Amino acid sequence: MLKRALILSASVLIFAGCSTPTRYVDPAADDGPVAMTMDYRDFEKAATEAVDDMLASGAVSNPNGGRYIMVVSRITNDTMQRIDTDQLTKKIRVALLRSGKVVTTTAVGLNGAEDEMTMRARELRNSEEFDQSGVQKKGTLQAPDLSLSGKILQRNHKVGDEQQVEYYIQLSLTDLASGLAFWEGETPIIKRGSNSSVSW
Amino acid sequence: MRFVFIAVLLSVGVFMAGCASQPEANALIERQELKVDPEVIYTMTVTELLEERLPQPGGESLLQIQFAVEARSDAELAWKVTWFDASGLVVKGVGDAYRKASVLTGQTRYFKAAAPHARATSYQLHLREPK
Repeated sequence: MLKRALILSASVLIFAGCSTPTRYVDPAADDGPVAMTMDYRDFEKAATEAVDDMLASGAVSNPNGGRYIMVVSRITNDTMQRIDTDQLTKKIRVALLRSGKVVTTTAVGLNGAEDEMTMRARELRNSEEFDQSGVQKKGTLQAPDLSLSGKILQRNHKVGDEQQVEYYIQLSLTDLASGLAFWEGETPIIKRGSNSSVSW
Repeated sequence: MRFVFIAVLLSVGVFMAGCASQPEANALIERQELKVDPEVIYTMTVTELLEERLPQPGGESLLQIQFAVEARSDAELAWKVTWFDASGLVVKGVGDAYRKASVLTGQTRYFKAAAPHARATSYQLHLREPK
C-alpha cells in the first residue's frame, strides 16, 4: 500500500516537473506560436491599422476645432468564436482618445448606456438628501457626432492538407448628422495551419 | 618668483575653466531614425524612408512615414515605429507589438505609419526578423 502511494507521488512529481512553467508574455516582444483562433495580436493589428488610417485620412479631425464625440454602435461577431468585440473597440477608443481628436460617450448605446451611472446620477435631482449644487443639471449631456460600427467575419477553407481560416475585420465610422460613412476600413487576417487545429 | 609663477598658472587655469563650454543640462542623446537588425540586412535593403506632415482639417498636422524594403530572398520582417514628441518622450500609440510582413525575392514592399498624435515630431523605425 505504502509502495503504491510512493510510486503515485513520485509520478505526480515527475509529471509536475515536466510541465511547462507558467510565464508572462510581453505583448511588445511576443514571437510565440500563432493560434488558428483570433488572439490579442490580431485585435492589436486590426486596431493599429484602423486608427493609423483614421488619423491619416483626417476623418476624425473636426474642422471646427475641438473633439468629435463618438459612440460605439454594433460590432457583429460573425465568427465561430465567442468574441467580446470590446477587445477591438476598446483599443480604438483608447487610441482615438489619446490622439486628442475623439472622445467616446458612455451615456448612449444600442442596448442602453454603457455607463448607467450617467442617468442614475441625474435621479438625485430634487432629492433633499443631496446638496443640489453638485447634482448634474439638465441639458449637460453631449450627443455623439460619430458612430463606430462593424463586423468580424470568418471563412474556413481546406487548402491541400491544411486549413485556411480567414478573418475580416470591417469597420465603419458614420457621421450621424448626414448618415455618411466618413471612414471605412477592412483588415484581413489569414491563417493557415494544421487540419487538426480548431478555429472555434 | 616661484610664488608669482604658481599664482599666474592658477589664474590662467581658472580663466580657462570658466571659458570652457558647459555641457547642456538637458542634452538629448542622438537617436537613429532607422534601426535595422543585422539578420534583416542580410536578406533585404531599406530602399527609401520618407516622412511628411499631413495637414489635418483642424489646422494641426500629423507626422507620417513611409519606407520601402527590397528583398534579396524570401524573408519575414517585423517592424515597429516608436514616436517621440519634441522633448524626446514616447508618444503612445495603439499597441506595442511589431507588425509582421513577408517579402518575396525581388519584391519591393512599401509600408506606411501615421503618428498617434499631432505632437509627435520624430520617430524611430526598427526592423527585425521575427523569431
